[in-house]
Amino acid sequence: MRAPHAVRTSPSATVRLAVLGVLLLVACARREGCTGDYCGTLVIATAGEPQSLLPPLLTAAVDQAVSDQLFLRLADIGRSTNTVGDEDFQPQLAERWEWADSVTLVFHLDPRARWQDGRAVTATDVAFSFDAYNDPAVNSPFRAGVRAISAVTARDSLTAVFRFRKRYPEMFFDAVFHLRVLPAHLLRPIPRDQWSSAAFGRKPVGDGPYRFVSWKAGEQLELAADSTFFLGRPHLRRVIWRFTPDLQVAVTQLVADQADAIEVLGPPDNVKRVRAVPQLTLYPYRGATYGYLGFNLAANGDSSRPHPLFGDRELRRALVMAVDRERLLQNVWGDAAKVPPGPEPQLWWIWDPETRVLPHDTAQASRLLTRLGWRPSDHDGVRERRGNRLAFRIMVPTTSAIRRQYARLLQEQYRAIGAEVELDEVEPSVFLQRASAGRFDALIAAWNADPTPASSIAQTWTREGVGRSNYLRYLNPAFDGLVERASSGKGGRAATQRAWRQAIELLNQDAPAVFLYASENVAAVHRRVADVTIRPDSWLALLRTWRIPAERLIDRDRVER
Amino acid sequence: MTAWLVRRVAAAIAIVWAVVTVTFVLLHLAPGTPFLPAAETPVDPAVLQRLRSQFGLDRPLPEQYARYLREIARGNLGESFALHRPVADALAEALPNTLTLAGAALCIEFVLGLALGVYQAARARRLGDLALGNATLFLYSVPTFWMGLLLLLVFGQWLRWFPVGGVVDVVTHESLPWAGRVADRLWHLALPAGTLGLVGAAGTARFERAAMLEVLGQDYIRTARAKGLPERRVVLGHALRNALLPFVTLFGLAFPFLLTGAVLVETVFAWPGMGRLAAEAIFRRDYPVVTAAAMLAGGMVVLGSLLADLLYAAADPRIRTGDG
Repeated sequence: MRAPHAVRTSPSATVRLAVLGVLLLVACARREGCTGDYCGTLVIATAGEPQSLLPPLLTAAVDQAVSDQLFLRLADIGRSTNTVGDEDFQPQLAERWEWADSVTLVFHLDPRARWQDGRAVTATDVAFSFDAYNDPAVNSPFRAGVRAISAVTARDSLTAVFRFRKRYPEMFFDAVFHLRVLPAHLLRPIPRDQWSSAAFGRKPVGDGPYRFVSWKAGEQLELAADSTFFLGRPHLRRVIWRFTPDLQVAVTQLVADQADAIEVLGPPDNVKRVRAVPQLTLYPYRGATYGYLGFNLAANGDSSRPHPLFGDRELRRALVMAVDRERLLQNVWGDAAKVPPGPEPQLWWIWDPETRVLPHDTAQASRLLTRLGWRPSDHDGVRERRGNRLAFRIMVPTTSAIRRQYARLLQEQYRAIGAEVELDEVEPSVFLQRASAGRFDALIAAWNADPTPASSIAQTWTREGVGRSNYLRYLNPAFDGLVERASSGKGGRAATQRAWRQAIELLNQDAPAVFLYASENVAAVHRRVADVTIRPDSWLALLRTWRIPAERLIDRDRVER
Repeated sequence: MTAWLVRRVAAAIAIVWAVVTVTFVLLHLAPGTPFLPAAETPVDPAVLQRLRSQFGLDRPLPEQYARYLREIARGNLGESFALHRPVADALAEALPNTLTLAGAALCIEFVLGLALGVYQAARARRLGDLALGNATLFLYSVPTFWMGLLLLLVFGQWLRWFPVGGVVDVVTHESLPWAGRVADRLWHLALPAGTLGLVGAAGTARFERAAMLEVLGQDYIRTARAKGLPERRVVLGHALRNALLPFVTLFGLAFPFLLTGAVLVETVFAWPGMGRLAAEAIFRRDYPVVTAAAMLAGGMVVLGSLLADLLYAAADPRIRTGDG
């Protein structure tokens, strides 16, 4: 029996009432908030989470983005991202520098620089930092980056002297880029072999524009502006990273207005999704990543023998010419990437569209294969030679939708010239393990490169990288020589660019890989944030100049902690 | 009863040990390797080698296993390869989140499932029963992550009634009074717990409907009706009490389901629980975290099952006396 005058509410009305109640409770609890030019909270959605904030142990992009706000370098890369010489670098901890001789660099520290516990930043900190980066007990991945520096000493409390083993064009870059200065007075008491698990890595004290506030594992990390920062007070008062398990979840948080910014939107679908959101502005910038289809020049799993197919340079050239890279790019990326002229991300200053590459020419590729004795079989059209089929497998990581899509399209393009391709989709850890061990025929890999071509190309395409990151076992002494010459920087910038072009053209002629894409990054930031400037090598490097004008503040900007 | 309990506890310990051993061995034998960077950046093999040595991965597997068991016996779960912190600390932060999620989901599952099952049984083969039967069958066959994405899209992104992820509002939570903080947590809990709870409730409802129908066909129910008792009292007072008995076993079954379901739901809703921690650790080959998470999950499942057996024994004298 139902009471005749009972008040009935629909389920949706009940939910609305409940939600309204919660919102009212939350809203009522808010105190009077911050007003003015130095308010503003930026919530950054990010896939993944830092492993440690101790600068010598940084690994992922998010570690570096957070660390950029906490720890200063002696000088930073300028907006041109030029890494040669020292002209384009901007002072940070060092107010100036000079060359005492061709291998001795003297930095004069800014006397206003302070650690956030009040102690002055000194040249002793600089010498201590170099020693720590070089210490095998710390096991820093940046150790290789400072190996050309023989010693760093403190001449007095504000003068640090760097001595190099040799003279080369990127000496200054090596001295300042890899080395974030550490507080010696806080880290010296901790045994170096315990740094990786030291509490400092999860609760650091820095000297940057922001100071550490909190880090909740799996949830968020918060920094607060240091209003006394000697290079100028940051405008945004709070910066919070929200950690998400993957990029799609991060983009969803952004679209749902629960985050204000994201570093890279990734695939074109995400860009399209965010473009439709009125409160967000897109910021394209040059990317540091390039992807390629690489051929293993050594036999699968046996680096002492040449690969039965890819050991043949002419066959590789045919396989490169068979690929229509522009069409692939349009299918996968649309306008969000470019076909690279070689192993180059768009970020590098040596990017040169005039670099000669093997043309896309399936007819010529077919003729070349026939000349090499690879003839189409009667029953399925796959080419054969002396009973061997022109068949190979391409390995791709399961987590990369872009590369999986490329693999399928490549499979089709190779089928058209009589090559049979099968795909090995493996999870990323297995992908990297098999790539390092040379257990693959071909792979679609991507490199996230340093701002400088010299170390990246040497590590991935020369003898120096064999057994390390030169997965393809590509070895050509002539190419190594050209890379060395280009890295030496003799003859100035134009000559260096010519030298790089010559080296890359030789690599292209040898065809160890098909260079598929060099992506353009697209960041998204809430429309209320003004003066957003993104430096391509480090998207938050200039964060302290971003601001939210007082008239654009919203609730989350005003919240007092 | 005591001997039975001792046997069950001993079996539980053996099961957890077996889980640890199998997880340890499979992890180390599976392809892939720890310490590799998430993004593809060149790695110095010397750095990797030093890390392997530091964590003892260059030692023979039996030696690593013996050392791991020795450390567990001392209460040390080791240090995470990827998180640079003790595994116990990482688990201690993640476990309450998973238990909160699973607990809330369990409440939704049992309350909603029970109510639907009883309602359907009381109106068996009528329109309401048929409609709810189809609805619960649909919900039961929906993958948990899909349901999560659907709720997230509708209630998080389109209607914006609930947050699309996280445990609390990262900007405002710390500034709220305690009541506001509780409300904030519940608000964030709604969608993930609703996802797990709804899918679970569908299964529970079907189970409870069948149990109720069986009981409603018993002679004593016919007697109760013949005595002229109101139908509501027959169903809720007489039938439901007996139909609840098999329901207790569902508790033991629901717990592992919630833990496995939580892995996906925690990923969809960026919920920092054990499932997400373990899933990320698997991809990073963070052996100590994966093994410890498996041990903890195994322990909780065994404990849940043991608790269900105890409840069953308490509810049914035949179990206690061994007559059943």
